[in-house]
Amino acid sequence: MRSETANINIDEAVLVEQCRRGEPAALERLIIKYQNRLYNVILKICGNPDDAEELTQETFVKILEGIEGFSGRSSFYTWAFRIAVNLTINHCKRGQKLVTRSIDAEDSEYNEQTKAQLRELLQDDGSPEPTAVAQNREMCRIIIESLSKLDDTQRAVIVLRDIEDMSYAQIADVLDIELGTVKSRLSRARSGLREILEANFQ
Amino acid sequence: MKEDFNIDEMLNGLIDGELTVRQQTEIQRLIRHDPQVAQRLRQLQRCKMLVGALPRDEAPDDMLERVKASLERRQLFGAEAGDFSRQEGAKHLLGRRLLAVAAMVGLIIALGAVIYSIVAPESVSEKSNLLRRETGRIAAKPEHILTDVAGRLVTAATFRGRLELKTADFTAVDAFIRRAIEENGISEYLGSTIQNNKSVYTLTCGRDKLSSLLSDMENIRPRFNSATLFVEQEPPGNEIVIPAVRPLQIAEIIGRNDYQGRIETARNLAVLNEVNKHLPAREILAAADSEKPASITIPKPVLTSSEKPDEKSSRQAETGEKMQLIIIVAGGQ
Repeated sequence: MRSETANINIDEAVLVEQCRRGEPAALERLIIKYQNRLYNVILKICGNPDDAEELTQETFVKILEGIEGFSGRSSFYTWAFRIAVNLTINHCKRGQKLVTRSIDAEDSEYNEQTKAQLRELLQDDGSPEPTAVAQNREMCRIIIESLSKLDDTQRAVIVLRDIEDMSYAQIADVLDIELGTVKSRLSRARSGLREILEANFQ
Repeated sequence: MKEDFNIDEMLNGLIDGELTVRQQTEIQRLIRHDPQVAQRLRQLQRCKMLVGALPRDEAPDDMLERVKASLERRQLFGAEAGDFSRQEGAKHLLGRRLLAVAAMVGLIIALGAVIYSIVAPESVSEKSNLLRRETGRIAAKPEHILTDVAGRLVTAATFRGRLELKTADFTAVDAFIRRAIEENGISEYLGSTIQNNKSVYTLTCGRDKLSSLLSDMENIRPRFNSATLFVEQEPPGNEIVIPAVRPLQIAEIIGRNDYQGRIETARNLAVLNEVNKHLPAREILAAADSEKPASITIPKPVLTSSEKPDEKSSRQAETGEKMQLIIIVAGGQ
């Protein structure tokens, strides 16, 4: 994962310069290069695929519209994700109540087997396999919906760290917050997520 | 609680590889010696693992086309909006500029009018024009008569002026002036009442007699609502307008020995009176003036010699410098 981020950093200066010159091919490369990563982060934060598509599209439009004014004080990578996360958090704040009600209504639909598996995963003596978790759609749904119950800013921190694998410094850059705030916010986010997950089988 | 958060932050830092070597040493020693801290570390690790294990979602295949379409749409609308904004902006800017220019022109005209009325008082002011229009027909007739009857005297006059008076007390003022003219022995005058509340006196006489008349008229000056003197200068028709003129100021003008001196004095008085009109203390001066006794004392003729006044005046008129003053007395405010 780290190597992927590093590759982005190496290529991005050239790509950004080409985009600033308005080269259509560079614009396409930029979109293709970042679309999945941006979409994935946006989706994990907003929780709705349709909204995530719209937000990803909007993010690229804003990136391409603003690339001429991109000063380079931060990396293009964090600049792009800052646009995406800000758009997504603003979107979430607008529709927060609706999402929360929807999740609450679906709580009782989790099957007992998935709940038991989740309990094992959270036990100290368990030995969870990430692939097993990823293949269990029900489990993924519980995790995503538990994430959605976190505060928007906490959710953004945990997604950027555990899904996008950003460093604390990059997260601070994306969210425009202090490094200490990233640490405390991430600590609360993981602690809160665990409590929410445990609440599913208690 | 704060301590727990700090330990959690340290544990998360350890999990994420964000601790310094010293911090790692400290937290690892704590983990080794405190089972609860070790358990908390495993909980946080599993939490991180669960989130990190979520499958990667991919953007829809047509994302590139959607972004392109969105960009094109925005550029199209943006261009239209930009054109519209530019047009509206240009109109707005043009309107503001025109307004500014109009305001400046208006200001310049207003300033010019004020300056012109002060610096070039010989031009006829609007107020005087109104009065002149009002009395024009009245004044025209005596002028005509004057030319016909006393053409010789007019030609010889070295001062030609017209004093326009307005008074609310027409009867008394007119009577006073008529009597003063007679008593000062100004025989060579043509005067007639054209209408009710309007009288025109065309006087052609020597400087002394005219000065004496003006001195007498100073006594009824408080009864004048307005007094404007028009002094004719070369070329003909070019007048110096002296607003709020006092009879003694007219006497001062005619007291000068030559034409140039009179014109210069008239111009100075025009500026002086124009400025005085705008002075704040004018109201105070007016009030002070109004406190003077308002009664009119009509001087009675006094015979000082056996000569008839008419004979004396005729001789002066023929031998001395001739002055022409038309006095128009009009009733009203």
